[in-house]
Amino acid sequence: LGAGQSIQKTYDLTRYLEHQLRTLAVPYLNYLGPPFNEPDFNPPRLARATERVPSATVDLDLWRGLTDNARLAANYRAYSRLLCYLRALDGQAGTAELRHRLGHFCSSLQGLVLSIAGVMSSLGYPLPVGPAGPSVPPGTSVAPNDFLKKMDDFWLLKELQTWLWRSAKDFNRLKKKVPPAVVTLRLEARGF
Amino acid sequence: FTALCILNESCLDFGNIYASQIIWKVKNRVVPKEQYREINRTVSSVTFNDTSSLATPLTCNILADGQIEQNIYGITVTIGLPPEKPTNLSCIVHQLSKLTYPMTCTWNPGRHTFLDTHFRLKYRWPQENFPDCIPKDVNNSCTITDVQFFVNLEVWVEAENALGEAESDPLVLDPIEIVKPLSPHNLSVDSGILPTVLKLSWENRISAPVMNLKFNIRYKIFGDTNWMQVPPEDIDSPRTSFSVQGLKPYTKYVFSVRCMKEDGAGYWSDWSEEKTGVTTED
Repeated sequence: LGAGQSIQKTYDLTRYLEHQLRTLAVPYLNYLGPPFNEPDFNPPRLARATERVPSATVDLDLWRGLTDNARLAANYRAYSRLLCYLRALDGQAGTAELRHRLGHFCSSLQGLVLSIAGVMSSLGYPLPVGPAGPSVPPGTSVAPNDFLKKMDDFWLLKELQTWLWRSAKDFNRLKKKVPPAVVTLRLEARGF
Repeated sequence: FTALCILNESCLDFGNIYASQIIWKVKNRVVPKEQYREINRTVSSVTFNDTSSLATPLTCNILADGQIEQNIYGITVTIGLPPEKPTNLSCIVHQLSKLTYPMTCTWNPGRHTFLDTHFRLKYRWPQENFPDCIPKDVNNSCTITDVQFFVNLEVWVEAENALGEAESDPLVLDPIEIVKPLSPHNLSVDSGILPTVLKLSWENRISAPVMNLKFNIRYKIFGDTNWMQVPPEDIDSPRTSFSVQGLKPYTKYVFSVRCMKEDGAGYWSDWSEEKTGVTTED
């Protein structure tokens, strides 16, 4: 795939994931149950939780100021971590229907991680190495109780929604920078 | 195909039995002597150039003293062929519901092998292998229940039996490009303001983030057999309604709609259920 085509596919996939998440949100929050499925439930973002689920909150000017490479790498790392968390979750969700749809969403998200990697390599950018992000610091126990576990699950949904919303914009902008037909040539200066 | 029957040395010493006395049989029918060859005193071979005459069991027998025929050894023989390379691999995604998109792949399994031959449909992303799809009761198709869109998938077929294995050429596709969507439904026909216009409305059963659609609309006068079509270029973009113009006043018409991916990739849906409407009087 050329860079332009690869970016277009990644953009389409991001929008498809947003669509899946929209159809998943209500059954997912109902699975978590009250107070998480109440419309006006708006809890504070606990610092502990950000280590487990990467926060999508960023300074927009800062984000826009990043290079394409840095922004793609940030997306890659975030979705890799979100995928890890989601995989741990998708086997437990209440109903079979929700488990099936979470499983499908999980595969789609994995596809997004691969697609972002594909875009990065088509643009000549190296993939971020090492773990998909700050691993949970030792001592930070997995959610100490069921309520906090569900709080993490709640934030997973919210953060995914924000990450996907912003990633769609990122890829839409990137898509315009690299028209489909352009063959990306990367010339490297070498000493002779 | 050649088989050997090797007598134990002791047969010579005590039994006074030699390879020359060996009689080969297929299913208790004596094999013609021309196919025998005495390799040495203890070894006789039999050769079948045309394996169609070969069958189970193939036995090695000896005519012992007193003209009593005695069976020494036998083998079961299964005749077959290694699998050929599967060809003509193609796949289609049939939309079954708003969220269900199984992908069915079909292929030409090649010649009959006369042996128990196993086929597997394999598919993967660059860094992710998925569980094989094992055909049920057939050897030329398999259905993957849950495919992912917008990521290129590599698909191929493997065939294997006791005599060998073969693999089709791989197919690289994005499942979103091979979808046959469900037809539009809940079609309704309303008379328009003008006596030559009828307005069609319908519901699409595939969401925009999955796929933008284009349409075909066909219509005919009730009782007629010839269908007319709305010019495709008039309806080649996403919509849920269209006003058909140029109709005869005070006439009953039958309408039907179908859809496919807007960029023309994939397959047309089936035609929707037909709905009738009557234009107003002039």
